[in-house]
Amino acid sequence: MYLKELTDISGVSGYEKKVREFIMEKIKEKVENIKEDNLGNLIAFKKGRERKKLMISAHMDEVGFMVSNIEEDGKISVIPLGSVDLRAVIGKKVIIGEREIPGIIGYKAIHLQRDDTLTPPSINDIKIDIGAQKKSEVEGRIKIGDFVAFAPNSMIHKEWFSGKGLDDRGGCSLLIDLINKDLNLAYDTYFVFSVQEELGLKGARISAERIMPDFAYVIETTTSGDNPEFSQDRRSTELGKGPVITPAHSGYVNDERLFNFAIKVARENNIPFQIKRRTVGGTDARAIALSSGAPSLVISIPSRYIHTPLCVMNLSDYENTLRLFSILLEKEVE
Amino acid sequence: MKDLIKRLTQVSSPSGRETEIRNTILEELKGYIDGYEIDKLGNLIVWKKGKSGEKLLLDAHMDEIGVIATYIDDKGFIRIEGIGGISPYNLLGSTISFSNIMGVVGVEGETLEELSRNIKDLNFDKIFVDIGCKDRESSEKLVPPGTFGVYYSPFIDLGERLVSKAMDDRIGCAIIIEVLRRAKPYHDLYATFSVQEEMGLVGASTVAFNIKPNMAIAVDVTSHSDTPKGNKRMSLNLGGGPAIKIKDSASISDRRVVEKLRSLAEKNNIPYQIEILLRGGTNAAALQTTGEGIISGTLSIPTRYVHSPHEMIDLRDVENAIKLLILLSEEEEVLI
Amino acid sequence: MDLVDVLMKLSNLDGPSGYEEEVIDYIKKEAQKISKTDIEIDKLGNLIVRKEGRGKKIAIFAHVDEIGFIITKKEFGNFFRFSTFGGIDPKAIISQRLRFHTRDKDIAYGIVGMLEPHLQTDESRRKVPSLNELFIDMVENVDKVNIGDIGNFSSEPFLLSEKYLTGKALDNRAGCAVLLYIMEILNEFVQRSESFFVFNIREEDGISGARGICYRIKPDLAIILDVTHGDISRPSYPRIETGKGPVLDIGPMISYEYFERIKNLAEKISVNYQIEPTGGVSNTDTDIIQISAGGIPTLLISIPLRYMHTPYEIVNIKDLEETARLLAHFIARGGE
Repeated sequence: MYLKELTDISGVSGYEKKVREFIMEKIKEKVENIKEDNLGNLIAFKKGRERKKLMISAHMDEVGFMVSNIEEDGKISVIPLGSVDLRAVIGKKVIIGEREIPGIIGYKAIHLQRDDTLTPPSINDIKIDIGAQKKSEVEGRIKIGDFVAFAPNSMIHKEWFSGKGLDDRGGCSLLIDLINKDLNLAYDTYFVFSVQEELGLKGARISAERIMPDFAYVIETTTSGDNPEFSQDRRSTELGKGPVITPAHSGYVNDERLFNFAIKVARENNIPFQIKRRTVGGTDARAIALSSGAPSLVISIPSRYIHTPLCVMNLSDYENTLRLFSILLEKEVE
Repeated sequence: MKDLIKRLTQVSSPSGRETEIRNTILEELKGYIDGYEIDKLGNLIVWKKGKSGEKLLLDAHMDEIGVIATYIDDKGFIRIEGIGGISPYNLLGSTISFSNIMGVVGVEGETLEELSRNIKDLNFDKIFVDIGCKDRESSEKLVPPGTFGVYYSPFIDLGERLVSKAMDDRIGCAIIIEVLRRAKPYHDLYATFSVQEEMGLVGASTVAFNIKPNMAIAVDVTSHSDTPKGNKRMSLNLGGGPAIKIKDSASISDRRVVEKLRSLAEKNNIPYQIEILLRGGTNAAALQTTGEGIISGTLSIPTRYVHSPHEMIDLRDVENAIKLLILLSEEEEVLI
Repeated sequence: MDLVDVLMKLSNLDGPSGYEEEVIDYIKKEAQKISKTDIEIDKLGNLIVRKEGRGKKIAIFAHVDEIGFIITKKEFGNFFRFSTFGGIDPKAIISQRLRFHTRDKDIAYGIVGMLEPHLQTDESRRKVPSLNELFIDMVENVDKVNIGDIGNFSSEPFLLSEKYLTGKALDNRAGCAVLLYIMEILNEFVQRSESFFVFNIREEDGISGARGICYRIKPDLAIILDVTHGDISRPSYPRIETGKGPVLDIGPMISYEYFERIKNLAEKISVNYQIEPTGGVSNTDTDIIQISAGGIPTLLISIPLRYMHTPYEIVNIKDLEETARLLAHFIARGGE
């Protein structure tokens, strides 16, 4: 399990290099070949028993920002990469650019706000403070186009894990574990670590088009809503109840055969699982369908507070999702 | 115990007019105290000596919320203002007693729409009291401007639960009276029955100045969260035991007072709750800042419908509060 | 004394209002390294260091407490409801990791959560959740957490561009660090005043520890060392900036005579300073101290700070040094 190491890396959409390098190190001995395509997707291949092509993917990118301007007073203006929830970014530490310069997202004190304390900040209100007092102190260290990632903040707490970027480093960690397990794969399997999912499912689209798989699995981390502000009947998933098998989400209905197959396997092997109860959110499955025509199934690890700088996952869900995939990859689809 | 609570709550003594309740309390304490004093503001201070040399102070406020008659119109209807945190909404449909002259509260409304609007947006200007007189002269004879009034509301015994006006804070007074009756204190036990708490902790601001106790505990009511769609951020239940207050919006209890009460309760198997009150304050806030400062806290009785004519408490919480405070005064340990 | 190192240590300690022990203990140890004289923790928990000297009695106050959180209710699973000490912006706490201290001295970690945007309606997505819609997701030691447990931000301090320090609780650990530094500088001076260095508790909740101390010491001059908003433009106010030196507050809550004196001294010894007008209340201990013990002349000196009451406040290190230099000289000269 590489949750801690992976979530602590800065890998904002469009700037996934460091994540890719880490993953490459971990899997290169265990696969038959590895390729990096034009956009930065990492595709690892392992032969299976049957000549059909299975693509299994997780995305490497996390939501964050990009430096858009350096202001006269030394503050740094940004634009979002992916849908960051701006209500959750104030008072957070960030890392900027290749040089990893630390900064914080400050906001004027509550004493100075009038009736607008409950108005969400706009992106124009979000400024990064690196302790410079004028523009000239920033130039030379930071430039327009540098990425801005939330600073590493992971913690393992017995059965819980909290950290940034669980969407989708959780999936990436799972993929690495699956590769390292030396499974007796049923099909020729392409393990795809894709880029820029948060910016429109770009990486999966082009990798699927190149691979032209027969079918695909997508490993994601998905929202839950299992908290006191949301009544049980309206939740999406619940932590601790196992991997989430998705029937449908934004822009795609998952393949029926794969859906039933996964449920059967879970039941036969006594792996707890849940069906995703809401259809919100999109995944690479849509892009895979649109570009390669391949059907897919999304199986996710339930998580809380994704798209904020601090997410929560229950480690038993991680283990059970790993178990489920280990069996799925070794079996022929019925 | 029920009789004592009934006697105390049925007395009419709004803030600034506490004579009757002070006399009642003194009567109840006859033979149980070593001495008493009434200070310039009207606070009643009593004591029972111990032998440790340390002083424990228990405070409850004698006053209740009420109204004051401000103007009598030519038809004999009485205009009122509030005394303490009394809400006009609690007066709608209520009866007021002006020293035993009863009156009914009415609302203005020249049209049905205006009546409806007034009720949505109620204030003292839109209500009046009707004592059944037909003109100013007869009305003024009974209730001249400047007369104080309180809720008229009976004491209701529901078994374990008791309902009355002015549980805030006659229940505190009742508790302290019982403690004084039953305790054989190890520490010097002082009790202050203070005035005008509802006007902003007036009496308590100076009452303890000369006493300089080692520890002061206010005994008052607190809110609840155990009714349908009750407050979702608090956790206070009737029957769950007396509440040891950590903080409210006026003060933070001294950590050591909290710990002391908590461990005493645990050692002696007395049920208790931990209280964080989101809005409200007690005399502890004033005691804390007296002179060089007094180490203070509050022990509360969870109460439903506070500041309405029908406040409800659980008798078991009251009994347990009394037990806890007796233990505190009798325990042969350093107080703080 | 390494000022930056001490301030980073102070920022990492947890001391929300009413629960400052850990911070007071550390400051006491640091104070003992600096001054071998009179160090006392009074009965309320304030730390007072007295330095002998002939001349006026000058007391300098720096409050030790920080804003914090308290558990008010247990919901299902790992979830809790909470309230706060001091003014906290909901925007600044969403997705923050908080550190709680349980009764048995364990550390529990919780995350301030809100409903995910995917599951919100368009309407609710346009609003920031208030404290009523937020909750704590306790991910560590959930079984040890009880109602009443106290917590604070868990952000760790670090340096920004070498010149600034950022972290939690710089309001008012920056003031505390400066006060310690002043004590050290004064060791080199001949002092024409008797000085009291007061590290007081509970400023953030308004029932400050400072008040009682005034009754005991009765200083001739009280200097309050706190923080103020820096690098923000407010209409009708001068722009206070970090890096431009200590802020001298002017207004009815301070003594104009002493203000002139300290301003002249700053010019004389080349300390850059800024002037900040404050009308009614300053929202610091100055308001309370000015009217304690029959009235005490006061001065309010502030350190400019960015992003007050958020998990990463920022101060300029040079400002800390210059503030200490100015005040040390002022105290050595007995406030002349």
